[in-house]
Parts: sequence; structure tokens; C-alpha cells
Amino acid sequence: MSDVFIDHLSFALGDETHSVEDAAKNGKTLSTAAVLREAGFIQHHVCRDGASAYDLAKRAVEPIREKLGDIGAIVYATCIPINGNIGSFDKYRQSRDVKHLMDFPASHLQADFGLQRAIVLGLNQQACTGLLGSLEVARMLLLTEPETRRVLCVTSDRFPTDALYEQSYNLISDGAAACVVSMEPKGYRLVAWHGITNGAMSQASDDETVGSYFNHTHRLIQETFSKAKLTIQDIAWVVPQNTNMKAWQILSRLLPIEFKRVYFRSVPEVAHLISGDNIVNLKYLDDEGTIRPGEKALLVMAGYGLNWQCVILEKR
Amino acid sequence: MAKSCVMITAGDGYLGLQVATRYLERTDEPVLIWVHAQEQPDFQAKQQRVASQLNRFADRLTFGGGDLVDEQPFQGVKPERVKLIIHSAAVTRFNVDADTAQQVNVEGATKLMEFASRCPSLQAIGLMSTVYTSGLRAGPIREVAFDDSGGFANHYERSKWQAETMLMSQFAELPWRVLRVATAIADDESGKVTQQNAFHNTLKLFFYGLLSLIPGKPQTPLYFVTGRFAADAVFELMQQPASQMIYHIAHTRQESASLGELIDSAFEVFLQEEDFKQRRLLKPLYTDAEAFDLLVQGVNSFGGGVVNQAVSSVAPFARQLFIDKAIENQHLVERLSAYRAPDPRQLVRSACEYLIQTRWGRTR
Repeated sequence: MSDVFIDHLSFALGDETHSVEDAAKNGKTLSTAAVLREAGFIQHHVCRDGASAYDLAKRAVEPIREKLGDIGAIVYATCIPINGNIGSFDKYRQSRDVKHLMDFPASHLQADFGLQRAIVLGLNQQACTGLLGSLEVARMLLLTEPETRRVLCVTSDRFPTDALYEQSYNLISDGAAACVVSMEPKGYRLVAWHGITNGAMSQASDDETVGSYFNHTHRLIQETFSKAKLTIQDIAWVVPQNTNMKAWQILSRLLPIEFKRVYFRSVPEVAHLISGDNIVNLKYLDDEGTIRPGEKALLVMAGYGLNWQCVILEKR
Repeated sequence: MAKSCVMITAGDGYLGLQVATRYLERTDEPVLIWVHAQEQPDFQAKQQRVASQLNRFADRLTFGGGDLVDEQPFQGVKPERVKLIIHSAAVTRFNVDADTAQQVNVEGATKLMEFASRCPSLQAIGLMSTVYTSGLRAGPIREVAFDDSGGFANHYERSKWQAETMLMSQFAELPWRVLRVATAIADDESGKVTQQNAFHNTLKLFFYGLLSLIPGKPQTPLYFVTGRFAADAVFELMQQPASQMIYHIAHTRQESASLGELIDSAFEVFLQEEDFKQRRLLKPLYTDAEAFDLLVQGVNSFGGGVVNQAVSSVAPFARQLFIDKAIENQHLVERLSAYRAPDPRQLVRSACEYLIQTRWGRTR
């Protein structure tokens, strides 16, 4: 198998910052502020009125504009499918023309960043696991389409204005994340990817989602190791989604790996950035210089669908 | 002069009522059913419920009531009328708080023992207890008095141990017998379940996909009985002339299923259910005690009310699921006329089938 690499990590957050207390006071959460604080959350980020998920995507890609190079494909993931259209529903209602339901942000991104050779793919049914899914789609494109040498992976979501910003007991932030996947040996080598979908639980309640979390995540990781012919001893860092910290204290005992090797330092200040958490945390880890060349990181995500995805990366 | 009677505390409870029924069906003794009731309307309601179930024995049935936390809960019962006492009243929840356990299970039992001391024609007093008064000790668990050196998993265990110790030390002159019962998971071998406890709550969480962790080791033996076996044994053991005896109303380690076998058997049954199969729920992962403690702490913030309630009911028993006890039942086997242990895995399967059919009692 030819190797593919992930580099140029970037993210953007909703432009307004609110404390958990404000979020609870404003009716944005189901849990109390105290419970969310105990889970590890301190604040979250919300788009101002009028700002779209696409605005977030642009802000996430802008810092790596110069690094994009010859992008052959854009894989644009959204957790909430409505963020995969920036057209006006009102215009559709007025005109009854469905083109207003097909105003795709990936196409805009291609145009706005001048990525003329890029084809676009939307990924909108993997929920929080979408960004990890996009890495695998990128890998497949790179290995099967000779003219595609670089793929831009983007995930971007903002919640509807009146939505709760709590899902499965986690505090949510609007935000976007991006990275470039290529065959250029820089950044992180994509060692393995694995996913599980349990469609029968697509409309699972919050309690069912939590109820299935530990054993499915454990299975996901074991199957990923099996695929990659690795064990937990080969993993230097676990880079999970921003969820209740106790959940990973438990999972770290089950794997087992020392809890200090579970890196999700962004939980308090970023909250759960839908499918961008892994990129945010990996960027923190990278910027700090904590992860060393040759070390492997296990990126784990669970999301509605129900979907679980896992990626093993190796730092170059 | 009225014939002296058999008095059963919590005689309207799960085991108490079954024992009372055996006395009524198999002897000609009058039975006094003492029920927990703080107020008269509560007493009347409980009396009516039991009387309607046992109306064919109305002429031999009397009732008393009170609250074990009262100063004199048995003041309505004449000591000279009582010749045999079975004390089954207790708070049996694993998550009972320390104060309640002390007040009801220890001090309440002491009041009963004091009352028994005043019964001039008392022939036997049976204290219903639990095999888990052995606390956290592993290895052979003999039918002897325990000390508290091993510690306990919860206040329920400790309080029942204290009650046993009180009976055997400060009321040693009474014609006592201690009846340590294992966990009743079904009424009988058909698997029918009338009373649910932490066992049933835990299986419910697994069936509905609300819990994916189980504390304990798969090889830990679990001690289950049926309500019928327990009630038959209590009845028969109370007929024995020998006093100052301890009995384990339980099956041995060789006759019992392990935690792993319980989970495997339950999932075998669950998987016969189409909607369970479709949901592709996985078996729970075995966790260490610390990880389960974290789940218990965390369930407040990442679990809803149902999960929280159920996990809280299981958690105080969790430490037992790591301890390999080898319960012995020699005294029991010697005294029972026809001791027989059921196939433990089949018993679990039958109970699971009943629970699924009735959706844990909702469609009984």
C-alpha cells in the first residue's frame, strides 16, 4: 500500500464565546452548568447571527491557503446535512426551484480559493465522524486516481439559531476544521482507518448513545489495531473527541493506556466541535511539540448514525 | 385459650408471603402476618391485599403492623400468643443508606429479638439474612458466624451481619437459627419473576442498550435461588428441632453460574428477540472497580434518570462481582428432605425469557 499523509491542520471557531453558565441560562443546554463543568467544559463558541457554516469553512481554510497546492479534490463533511447547502430555503419556497437546495459549499470553496482542478465530494451522513471519514475517502482517491495528488478535507457546522447546543450530554461549539491529505511525506502518515456503522441505532436516544459508547468504541479500536497489526503498546497518544472527560478515564482503563496519554486539552475552551475535535486536539499536540517523530496517535470519534471511526496516524 | 401462632414479619413481602402460605397450606398453625405500616390506612390496605390472596385460610390468619423504627413496633402483638417467629422484615436494597440500614435492619431486628425474649412459649426464631453477610471475604464461605474483618460492599450487608451478630451474642439463649438466603432471581424454575432487584435492573439496562460496562470478573460465581426454593427451605428449616444453627439457603459454587455465564446466557436469550438482534447491541465489557466507580460518578453528567437510577442500584454490589466466594451449604443439604439445585444457566435463561416476554413486568 502506498502511503498517504495528513498535514496543514487548521480550524476556526464560532465568533462568539459563551461560558457554560451563559449557555445554560440562555436555554442552550439540557444539563445544568455545574454538570457540564464537571464534565470538563468551561465555554463554547457560537456563530453570530448571519454567519454560516460556510463562513466557518472559509475561515478554517484561509490560514492554510498558501499550503494547499494543486488540490485534486475537496471532501467537504458536514455533521448536520443542512450545512451542506448554503442556498436559501425561502427562495426555493418562492420559486419552487430545487437549485436553491443544491447550492453546495464545496463548490463555493473551490471557486473562492481558486482550486480549479479540484472535484468536490460531500460527506453528510457520518455525523461527528465525518472528518475521519473524509481522510479515508481522500486516501482512496489518492490511491485510485493518478491525477489526484492532494485532497483538501474540510468539516464545518453551525447549529441552527434556536438549537440546543448540547448533544448526548456534551456541550457543542460551532466550528470548522481542515487539513490536506497528500502523498507528500510530511505531517502524519495515515497508518490505518476503520469504521463501524450501526444503522439500526440511527435514532438512538442520548441514553442509548451513551449506553453503546464504551463497548462499541472499544471494539472499534481493537478492530483498528487488528487491521493495522498494532497493539495499544504501539500508541503514544489517544486523540479523542471532546466529550465528558470521565468517559475517557474509563476507556483508558479498558484499553488500557495511561490517562495522561489521552490528549484532549481543548475540551474546556473549545467544547465539542462536532467532527473537528480530532484536528483541533492534534493541532494542539503538534503545536506544543508534545508528539515526537515516529510516535503514533489514535484518533477516535463516535457520532450519530450511529457511526464510529478511528484513524491511526504516525508523526513524521 | 387461643392456639399460639407463627409470626412472620414482612409477611406480605416477597419471601415472607410465600413462607406464610406454606404454613397455612402445610400445617394447621395460626399465622400472624406482621406488616410494615406507619399509618392505619396503609396497614388496612396491606391487610386487605394479603387477606384476599389467602382468604381460604381466613380463620387462621391474623394481622399486626407497625414500623421497625418505632420504639415498640410489636406492642400490638401478645408475646404469649407467639411460638415461632420468622423475621424477614428488612430494607434489602443494596443502596440503602447507613442510617436506614442501622435503624431498620439492626435496631429493628434488635427490637424483634427483645420481643422474642418475652415470648414464654417461643420454640424457634428464624432471622432471614443473606449469604453476603460474609462481606468481601473470598474462598470457602461456611455456615458459621462471621466477623467483620473482610469489610462489606454496602450498608445492607453490614447491617444484616450486625443483626446476625446481635442475635448470636446478646440473644444467644433464644432458639435461633440464621437463614442466609442467596439472591432470588425468579419465583421458580419456570423463570417467572414477581419481584425484581438489582439482577433484573442490570439485565434491563443491557437489553435496552443503556449500559455497556459491567464491573467484575467473568469467572466470579454468582449465587442465585428461586423464591420457591428459598421459601420451602425456610419452612423446612424452621421445623427442625435443632437451634443455634446457621444455614445457607444457596447452592454451591459447582452448582452456580459465573458472571460470564450469566452474561452469555442472557445475551443468547436476548438475541432470539428480533428487535434486539437488529440493534446489534454488544455484550458489556468487564471493567475493574475503579472504572465502574468512574461510571457511577459520571452517570450524573452523561446518563439520564433511568440509567442513573439503575446504575446506582447495582453499584453498591459491584465489589462482590470481583470476589470468588465458594458458598457451602452442608447444613442445608443435611436438613432438607429433597435438596436439588436447578441448572443455573437454564434458570438464568428462563428468567430472561420471562423478563423479555413481559418487558420487565410492564405487560405481565
